[in-house]
Amino acid sequence: MRRTKLLQTLAPMTALALLSSGCLSDGGSTATSGTGTGNAGKTVEIMTGMTGDNLNALKVSLDPYAKEQGITIKWSPSDNFNQLIVTRVQGNNLPDIALFPQPGIMKDLAAKGRLAPLDDILDMPTLKNSMTAGTLEAGSKDGKLYGLMASMNVKSLVFYPKQAFESAGYEIPKSIPELLALTDKIRSAGKTPWCLGIESGPATGWPATDWMEELVLKYGGAAKYDDWINHKTKFDSPLVRRAAGTFEKIAFTDGNVLGGRKSISSNNFGTAGNPMFRNPPGCFMYKQGNFVAAKGFFPDDVVADIDNRVGVFGFPPATAGGDNPVEGGGDLAGLFSKDNEAAKKLLQYMATKDFGAAGAKTGAWLSPHKDFDVANYPTQTIQNIAKIAYQSTGIAFDGSDAMPGAVGSGSFWKGMTGWISNQQSLDQALKAIDDSWPAS
Amino acid sequence: MLIKTINAVLAVIAGVGGALVLFWVLNRLVGLLPGRWEDRLKPYVYIGPAFLAISLYLIYPAIQTIHFSFANADSTAYVGLDNYTSLLGSAGFRSTLVNTLLWIVIVPAVTIALGLGIAVLADRLRPRAEKLAKTAIFLPMAISAVGAGTIWRFVYATNPPGEPQIGVQNAIVTGLGFDPVNWLQITDFKFNSLELMVMLLWAQVGFSMVLLSAAIKGVPADTLEAARIDGASERQIFRKVIVPQIRGTIITVFVTVTIGVMKLFDIVYVMTNGDFDTNVIGVQFFNELFTNFNNGHAAAIVVMLMIAIIPIMVYQVRQFRTEEAGR
Repeated sequence: MRRTKLLQTLAPMTALALLSSGCLSDGGSTATSGTGTGNAGKTVEIMTGMTGDNLNALKVSLDPYAKEQGITIKWSPSDNFNQLIVTRVQGNNLPDIALFPQPGIMKDLAAKGRLAPLDDILDMPTLKNSMTAGTLEAGSKDGKLYGLMASMNVKSLVFYPKQAFESAGYEIPKSIPELLALTDKIRSAGKTPWCLGIESGPATGWPATDWMEELVLKYGGAAKYDDWINHKTKFDSPLVRRAAGTFEKIAFTDGNVLGGRKSISSNNFGTAGNPMFRNPPGCFMYKQGNFVAAKGFFPDDVVADIDNRVGVFGFPPATAGGDNPVEGGGDLAGLFSKDNEAAKKLLQYMATKDFGAAGAKTGAWLSPHKDFDVANYPTQTIQNIAKIAYQSTGIAFDGSDAMPGAVGSGSFWKGMTGWISNQQSLDQALKAIDDSWPAS
Repeated sequence: MLIKTINAVLAVIAGVGGALVLFWVLNRLVGLLPGRWEDRLKPYVYIGPAFLAISLYLIYPAIQTIHFSFANADSTAYVGLDNYTSLLGSAGFRSTLVNTLLWIVIVPAVTIALGLGIAVLADRLRPRAEKLAKTAIFLPMAISAVGAGTIWRFVYATNPPGEPQIGVQNAIVTGLGFDPVNWLQITDFKFNSLELMVMLLWAQVGFSMVLLSAAIKGVPADTLEAARIDGASERQIFRKVIVPQIRGTIITVFVTVTIGVMKLFDIVYVMTNGDFDTNVIGVQFFNELFTNFNNGHAAAIVVMLMIAIIPIMVYQVRQFRTEEAGR
């Protein structure tokens, strides 16, 4: 009697266990794609941090070739690429190709032996001639190439209202002293030289860190810039103070910035440059990355007539004709297995100088190849931007992206915002940033 | 899609059904025991699963947090009291504490005052007007904090002088011929923190109003009548007859709002992320954990917050008990 009663009570429990395990099994099956090796069905999974127009430009560039080769591409885009790729590698659930938006994680994975070196797969001598200076180095670790830059972006740009700038007889500065002289010249003519805004919601401050990176890079060169990013050079150092001094001269001098120093940290970065396009212009120069010359940032009527209304020059080097590295970035393609023939084929195609021609025509793609036919870019403005990168002495990645999060998206933003809005002195800001650098 | 829907339905059935089955099974199992033991064990069988769940999801993490607050940034080595001393030693964190204290002092009190005032005044309106007024004031409760942030960004937005102002307040200010004001950067008298408090009041007064209004309507009419017959003025009736009778509700609202304010995060994060000296400990905690990846600091902040909240909760529980006893 007791026994049957026990059985009666146990039966529903078993049923419950079966039911709940049935629910779970469905979720598990999707996690086993992209095996890393083999790929018998010639399906290649590509993970990327690109989204929107950029992703679309990549697809139109790569899909036709893949189709021709009988390769199916499985796209896995994610805004959260950095976290996702680390998790997937830890779980040994690898894609075939990953496009890393920053070199840090790519180099970590290369050091751990998870990425295949590309030197034997790609035609290195041709690449060395063809790629923009610094782009191969950005993808290399211990002398071997692990990340091939597929597309590029440029940050060291100064936009200006073309007609007003030219009719006032201003000339494009060739060095930072000339830039400062131009600033003074515009101001003494009773006009406002600069537009400047660093407001970005909870991320307020990042455009100011771009300014600092720009100036450190121009004054120190690529090697010292790297030392600074790795905290071998402190924030409280002559190099960073020199950069801050120049920024101070541009941003804090009365009459240099539209609205003055106090409006910088409440002015949104996306639209801060737009007063340039009024008549007469509210300001004559705005420094920002190439993304800003597009719909949603510059006014629609300006974007529609961009070549006539917008001029752009590269942020000038410290001395005219001197070392001129450019701050920018790009997506670095890494391969997870050297035996993956289909993925290798795609990478070899991505390394050719004409790769991206279809994407470039959409206006959302810059090729890192110096010998890329600039006629593929739909506007003169994009052609100019590409040339600024191609003629530089090297591309340096965004420094704050490469710093530890506590600094790169924490104290550096807050320090710059505090300094600019006059809540703390430069000394306090630099010290606070140095102190916040994680110990390890 | 179909499979997912079926799975979701199955999960709900299995979850709810599972809980029922679990209790049924446990009940039957206890029922198998001899009578005296059945009576002794049965209450624990019913309270047991809930207690286990709370232990697992609340008490265990709390202990772990206290534990981590004595460890380093990635919780690999003990550092003693370093997290506490370095936090309390930094001027930034002390100013964060002062801001939080300011929120605690101002927001609950003003929420009660406004809620009570509106409830009393609305009570005297005609029914339709009362409904309308209350709905309008309650409406912001339905908006998420991030949504409220988006709305209020358009209230405080500042463009450089001479540019068109998209912010309401600056549109008015410049319309009157003055220069635009950087609303969120006015640190004199913590004015920018006060502006952020206005946002929370805007969002929360409705909650306070609804509860207090219900309590006021529950005040027996004969007590009011008796007071009137005795010649009490309206003000005296409010202070000496109504308020004492709704004291319990006032305290409940006060404590709820106070605890909410201590944990405040979203409004400050969305509007300033703690810049311009508006930081509060909720935002500081988030930044320590998710920007600085400093488990030690984050845990220490939470522990301090827990210690600060305990007296308030003890007070509320006591209050609740005396009230129960008084009934």
